[in-house]
Amino acid sequence: MATASTSVTAGKAQHEGELHVDAIGKQFGGLKVFDQVSFKLLPGDILGVVGPNGAGKTTLINIISGLLFPTHGRITLGGHDITRTVFHGRSRMGVIRSFQQTSTFRPATVRENIARAIRFSHGSEMPPRGMDALMKRFELSDRLDEQSDKLPYGLQKMLGLVLAYVTSPKVLLLDEPAAGLEIRERGRVDDFVHHVREELGCGMLIVEHDMDLIRRLCPQIMVLDSGRILAEGPPADVLARPEVIAAYMGAAEEVAEQC
Amino acid sequence: MESFVSTGLIGVSLGVQYALLALGFTLIFGILGVVNFSHGGFYVLGGYVAYASVHYLGAPYPLAVVLAVLASGILGYLFELFLLERVVEDHLSTLMLTLGLFLVMSTGILVTFGPESPQFTFPVTGTWRYGNYYLPKENLIVLSVCVVTIGAVYLLMYKTDFGRALRALADDRRVAAAQGIRPRLLFPLAFALATALAGLTGALVTPILCLAPHLADPVLATSFLIVILGGLGSVGGATLAAFIVGMVEAYSSVYLGGSKGALALFVFVLIMLVIRPSGLFGQEVHGA
Amino acid sequence: MTDRFRSFVRFCGAAELTSIGILVLAFGIPLLSSSPFLVSLVTQILIAIPAAFSVYVMLRMDLMTFAVPAFMAMGAYSAAIVGLRAGITDTIVLTALSFAVPALVALPLGALVLRLRGVYFVLVTFLLSQITQLLLFETPKLTGGSNGLAGMPATTLFGVALEDNRAVLFLAIALALLAAAITMVLTRYYRQHFAAIKENQILAESLGLVVWHYKMLGFAVAAGLAGIAGFSLVNMLLTAHPSSFSAMSSVDYIAYTIVGGAGSMFGPIVGSALLVTANNMFSNRGEYSPGFFGLLIIIVVLAMKDGIVGTAIKLAQRYRGRSRRIVLTPTQIPLQPAAAAEQTPVADQTVER
Repeated sequence: MATASTSVTAGKAQHEGELHVDAIGKQFGGLKVFDQVSFKLLPGDILGVVGPNGAGKTTLINIISGLLFPTHGRITLGGHDITRTVFHGRSRMGVIRSFQQTSTFRPATVRENIARAIRFSHGSEMPPRGMDALMKRFELSDRLDEQSDKLPYGLQKMLGLVLAYVTSPKVLLLDEPAAGLEIRERGRVDDFVHHVREELGCGMLIVEHDMDLIRRLCPQIMVLDSGRILAEGPPADVLARPEVIAAYMGAAEEVAEQC
Repeated sequence: MESFVSTGLIGVSLGVQYALLALGFTLIFGILGVVNFSHGGFYVLGGYVAYASVHYLGAPYPLAVVLAVLASGILGYLFELFLLERVVEDHLSTLMLTLGLFLVMSTGILVTFGPESPQFTFPVTGTWRYGNYYLPKENLIVLSVCVVTIGAVYLLMYKTDFGRALRALADDRRVAAAQGIRPRLLFPLAFALATALAGLTGALVTPILCLAPHLADPVLATSFLIVILGGLGSVGGATLAAFIVGMVEAYSSVYLGGSKGALALFVFVLIMLVIRPSGLFGQEVHGA
Repeated sequence: MTDRFRSFVRFCGAAELTSIGILVLAFGIPLLSSSPFLVSLVTQILIAIPAAFSVYVMLRMDLMTFAVPAFMAMGAYSAAIVGLRAGITDTIVLTALSFAVPALVALPLGALVLRLRGVYFVLVTFLLSQITQLLLFETPKLTGGSNGLAGMPATTLFGVALEDNRAVLFLAIALALLAAAITMVLTRYYRQHFAAIKENQILAESLGLVVWHYKMLGFAVAAGLAGIAGFSLVNMLLTAHPSSFSAMSSVDYIAYTIVGGAGSMFGPIVGSALLVTANNMFSNRGEYSPGFFGLLIIIVVLAMKDGIVGTAIKLAQRYRGRSRRIVLTPTQIPLQPAAAAEQTPVADQTVER
């Protein structure tokens, strides 16, 4: 259940949408999957998280969203310590994640999916601002009565993003939003991110493999490798650094060896 | 003291029987992901086929046991091939199908043989004595057969290609299929192996204990118990758990009486299932 | 007036109202026939119905429960113990008790057990039933042990003893109606929540649904429904005996629901009626009935996953040629006025998935 305790930086009033991740680590038995990861996500920030496979990107989202608890470190939202808050508790506080695979209520219609998202998140019947424009942009407005699992893959993923949007998140964690989308569909992710920034203004964390997308959308990125932060900064700068390139090449070499 | 050790010997022989029984059950769960509600039914079937072979066909007991194993194995094979294969991806549907099979089997046995317990005795009588410790000879023989069989199954699972293929299928059916292992060929065989083991246990144990159509229910419950305790899918765990259950049953029936031992065991396993759903050694539990 | 009526009907659901209607009509059976066989048969069906509803409620959360006999026993023995030991025979009190005791026990049990799903949940609930039956045998001071509790006093309503077969039938109808009403209110009011849990639990949680609350609620209500069935049973037999509550008997109630169709409240009623009648047909050859059940289960799982009611609805829809699928009643999204004009009116549903 949600525990509310004042943060260490009490006195400095934090915006309720500020996410502070402090030196979190995750160990499975003796295996350190994650170590000393810290960052801040302020409302309006768009932070990209990249790294070779197995670097811990999905683990990061799992830990921040509450599906996993870290073994070390703290996570605070708006000054409240949420390190031990359960998954649904965090969702209710506004930390919302999307899923890599399509995630909708499959046999239900688009309309019903959205209705449920509204009802489960804040109980009222009103969708947040910018909903209609988003629906139109994603071409979902005229497909309201279709079953969500009959939609084409790309639209299902978009619906998943819409559901996250509908909850009026304070922090939005996107887990590979472009995965499985064709190149020409990826622009929709751009639209989504811009829309969120304009209408909701919450902080966003985007885990992605599509480097072009990251470059386009994220003013700041964080490179993870083997559960540690390898580099942080603007993408153009970070992605040119030798240690980052080495990490990716190293991963490529490992794959090559196995073949 | 002697009685304590002798009770322990009974516990061990019970444990080995349960281990053999649970082996089939846990194999099916590990490889197919199926909870086989008909497991008790195959135990009873094995017992009755052996009984019928001895009493109606005049077959010698060892042959009767072989027939029981064949009958259980073949029935299991056909059932998996023609019915279970259709829904094997959906675990709850497979469970319901095995339930349906169990009901049909019980009725078949009941109708064919009647509800009364037939006279089915083990061909070897007498007691083996070592100093002040004793164990009925039948238990000793059955114990040996069980140990040999369990050893054979271990060898099969860990030292042969067939066993390796089955274990690969257990880990990930799709990946294994992509590597050329044919589930549609192997699953019926795996199921048949499991049901044959249940039939074998029945053919061996029912002449010692009791043979009756209604035995399938408690046998199933005990199998559930053992396999949950040991961890669904873990062969080593099931074996260990079988011994624990055998010992508890032996000691509690001698020293406590009634079904208090069973009750304590059930409650213990229930708590264990909740705290540690993977049992003592089982695979990670991942929801449905 | 008709608008409010229509929205009430839509809230309740056509299947639900049909179910309740049929149960109310059952009151007329003594007018049609005085055959004691028929009265007994219908009473048995009515005893099964709340138990089948218990399975149905759990299935709406994608949980297959084998614990119905355990909770039935709790309801049954509560009523029997209180009737025999404390002399309380008022129907309303006993009904409330037989619902409340299992429901309350279900709360701590649920806290332990509801984190499991799928086959693990099946095994745990099966063990629960096994344990309960063992407890009944092993606590003779409370439960009469293997003798059970015989000679229960007849239940009374406002002082009038309900003793003859007709009175027992009426009480069984009333209990089934109560169970139906409870099932209807629960499954309609929380339709979206249960459906979300069933279809994609983790998504529901990620959107903020406190899933375990609803699972606990469903589990407790299902336990209470089974308890009502237990009370109905001992009311007919005037005896509470452990043999009525074996773990394997859970299969019967599951069969009633899935053979009838787990997609709507009407399915358990159809399933109970059909299978209890079939069981009675085998009265001389009672040993055949489990085999028959087994065959039905196999057929339904392989060929008729939606059960009798669900399959019938699908066939009817295909015959009528409409392209309207069976879909959950959507909630209106108040879009902007321009968009609102484009919305199709919310379709009335006949049966829910």
